[in-house]
Amino acid sequence: MHIPDGYLSPVTCAAMYAAAAPFWMVALRRVQRALSTRLVPLLSVCAAFSFVVMMFNLPLPGGTTGHAVGMAVTTIVLGPWASLLVLSLALLIQAVFFGDGGITAFGANCFNMAVVGSLVAHLVYRTVSGRSAITSPRRVVAAALAGYVAINTSALLAAIEFGLQPLLFHDASGAPLYAPYPLGIAVPAMMLGHLALAGLAEGILSAGVVAWLQHSDAALFKLNEPAPLDGWRLARPLWIGVAGFMIATPLGLLAAGTAWGEWGVEDFNKPEARQAMAMASRNVAPPEKAPRGMERLASLWTAPIPEYAPPFLKSPSFGYLLSATMGVGLVLAASLGLHGIVRATKRRDAASPES
Amino acid sequence: MNPTPAFSLADVSFRYPEAVALDGLHLSIPPGECLAVLGANGSGKSTLLRVLAGLCFPERGEVAFFGNPLTEQTLQREAFARHFRRRVGVIFQNPDVQLFNATVFDEIAFGPLQMEWPKAEIVERVHAALADFGIEALKDRPPHRLSGGEKKRVALASVLVLDPDVLLLDEPTAALDPQSQGHVIDFLFGCLGKKTVITTTHSLEVAQEIADRCLVLENGRTAAVGPAAEILQDTALLERTHLVHVHRHRHPSGAVHSHPHRHY
Amino acid sequence: MWLRQRAFIEKTLHRLTGTLEHAAYADDAGGKRGFLQQLDPRVKLLGFLGLIFAAAASHRLSVTAALFGAGLILALASGVFALLARFWGGVLFFTGAVVLPAVVLTPGHALLHLPWVGWAVTDHGLHSAVGLTARALATATFAALLVLTTRWGHLLKALRVLGVPTLLVVMLGMTYRALFVLLRLAHVFFEARRVRRVGRLGGSQRRQMAVSSAAMLLSKSVQHSGELYEAMVARGFRGEAHTLDEFRFTRWDWGMFALFGVGAAAAFAMGTLP
Repeated sequence: MHIPDGYLSPVTCAAMYAAAAPFWMVALRRVQRALSTRLVPLLSVCAAFSFVVMMFNLPLPGGTTGHAVGMAVTTIVLGPWASLLVLSLALLIQAVFFGDGGITAFGANCFNMAVVGSLVAHLVYRTVSGRSAITSPRRVVAAALAGYVAINTSALLAAIEFGLQPLLFHDASGAPLYAPYPLGIAVPAMMLGHLALAGLAEGILSAGVVAWLQHSDAALFKLNEPAPLDGWRLARPLWIGVAGFMIATPLGLLAAGTAWGEWGVEDFNKPEARQAMAMASRNVAPPEKAPRGMERLASLWTAPIPEYAPPFLKSPSFGYLLSATMGVGLVLAASLGLHGIVRATKRRDAASPES
Repeated sequence: MNPTPAFSLADVSFRYPEAVALDGLHLSIPPGECLAVLGANGSGKSTLLRVLAGLCFPERGEVAFFGNPLTEQTLQREAFARHFRRRVGVIFQNPDVQLFNATVFDEIAFGPLQMEWPKAEIVERVHAALADFGIEALKDRPPHRLSGGEKKRVALASVLVLDPDVLLLDEPTAALDPQSQGHVIDFLFGCLGKKTVITTTHSLEVAQEIADRCLVLENGRTAAVGPAAEILQDTALLERTHLVHVHRHRHPSGAVHSHPHRHY
Repeated sequence: MWLRQRAFIEKTLHRLTGTLEHAAYADDAGGKRGFLQQLDPRVKLLGFLGLIFAAAASHRLSVTAALFGAGLILALASGVFALLARFWGGVLFFTGAVVLPAVVLTPGHALLHLPWVGWAVTDHGLHSAVGLTARALATATFAALLVLTTRWGHLLKALRVLGVPTLLVVMLGMTYRALFVLLRLAHVFFEARRVRRVGRLGGSQRRQMAVSSAAMLLSKSVQHSGELYEAMVARGFRGEAHTLDEFRFTRWDWGMFALFGVGAAAAFAMGTLP
């Protein structure tokens, strides 16, 4: 899932840097403000840990093996904010030093895995584990789910970023300039592997590590318990703002995308269907005319922008910038909603008298 | 009137959750002395060193550094903390702990940077320290690519760059080849009389070479303390505190003979 | 069957040693006396970021190819040509998985039909596949040149010119150092398990072995960070991060900086012109 350079357009990369930046800033401020100066070596060593753990080959059921990122493990032990910094540090060293993941795509990789991965893992883990005891088996289940859901959310984001490329960035003849597959291919192709293998690896690693620590080093769970860095509550306004911004961007993007780029995966197995698609797309994207999907899309998001607005607001790139984050917005909104429901239920339970 | 001791410990006790590490220790270390702390594994040597270094604080008893109480509270005062950290250098046994920066240059610059000295002065001092220990060529190397002896020299340079008056060393010759051990002993020899040196060691050879006085710890208590020459001759004491091992050998006549054996 | 049971240990060990070797090569290359090695790290950081951006933005195969060629010449001048292949590995793997199917999957004019299956290689498919591969190779080459000709410690400090906070620079340095401590530790874990002949293992036992190694490593990491903290405090650390560098811009550095800038700007302009 480490996206290399050259597969995402520079505009996408800039957008993803911009999306990750506020989270980095909040996380860094929290680390600096946290009274414990112990965090400096702790986070550094944990970043090295997550780098090394990404190299572990995990035997999966069915005889295959897979690699995990360890996003749920760092989140459970360090809290989401520290975890997103730790994973970003590890990803930076991977990108710069080992060429694993691109430098222009670093923002995207961090947003997908470090930022969203940590926060989704935190949400799932907290929601499922509830107030159970540190040694409760419920926490093992919570960890497994957190890992599974978090890595699949990251993969979905990466797939959406890939899938939007041919829609928005192609040359005059219609040939895609960056990642070539539309959403209809990118999403299933990416998700199949992650739902079946990488998700399992992540879930198994998270559950196994939590179970081992419960037995042998339960003190590690306390690192995050007094929670100088556990800032879900404090950061909620930020999240609600981000979610709101992203939902406010056009929801019609996915539907619009089907005009040019959405074909069923099974169609590609039939040569005649492919020929038909080739013909169709030649008609749809002639050199002198923008693709139909683009036109529809353009009208969707230029509508609310007044005539006197600077021209860049009407460019496809800006539309993309707004829309790329929409998928995350939906996930976030759903998470926030879920969190709210769980809290409300708990409060009701607490409020209802025992008798 | 004796000069104020560099360190004085009165009835110091420290307990880990599972074991007692120090138990009612009294000790006074005059400035300029070289004290070797001897004892078997688990005798409390390393804990004593951490207490002297202001890294952990006894639950009972008092520690003073040149007459100033050494407590968690006093070390929270910035002026005292800076003064204490500059004057007391600590060399840890494990090079992975001692060397935590990405390059040798950064390693040596770390201490001076914390003192917030002017940058030009820091650069000058770092280069002087590199020259003193003959490691200029290693300046930009990452520590993980150095040999054991090189790591030890970098560790010494990174502490000595602050020109401390007191040196605390944990097993300075452990896991080094004989030649590097020799370098460390030579270095410590050069410090004698100029700096207060407190070193834990398993090696009676090191104690013999450099120590003015020896402290033998046993289960966190003082088993013996006195001039090095005296302690190191007391075979019964050394055997009781597991500092020498009994050596068996067969004489040509066929008789089996065992006697305490010292390696130096 | 025996082999397959141990495969995950072998594979993990292989990756761990591979990383250590990679780091050793890169460190040696950074210490060589080559053209790029002599430049100020900040010039290289900004220069290569510009070139990477130009290559990533390029829509023209000719411009991408020219950038790739320039990268190869720089590699030759700096004595790191032979090491580039290590950085291309990941890129080419990814390219194989993503780009090859795109040759037939992307709609466009059919240029030729593959024998047997009869799938059509399309003009758009071929164009985008070649463009992508060239761009990925060019950017990977520039990233590799930056790392191979700049010692890690210097590269980190050069990040300061991009406005990266000192605290992060210090933490990245410590992460890099801790990485080698943990790589060694993980290596010891897996080596010990390989040597210990534990008979046949079921799937769940193998999983448990891998997962408990990860958990032990985490536990050791936290313990190690506690020891590091004491070592830092003993040298006067009070929570504030500082860095020190000895970089000095020479006239040569300024010249090369200008050259990098002009090259990247020209490539960007030519590569993105309609």
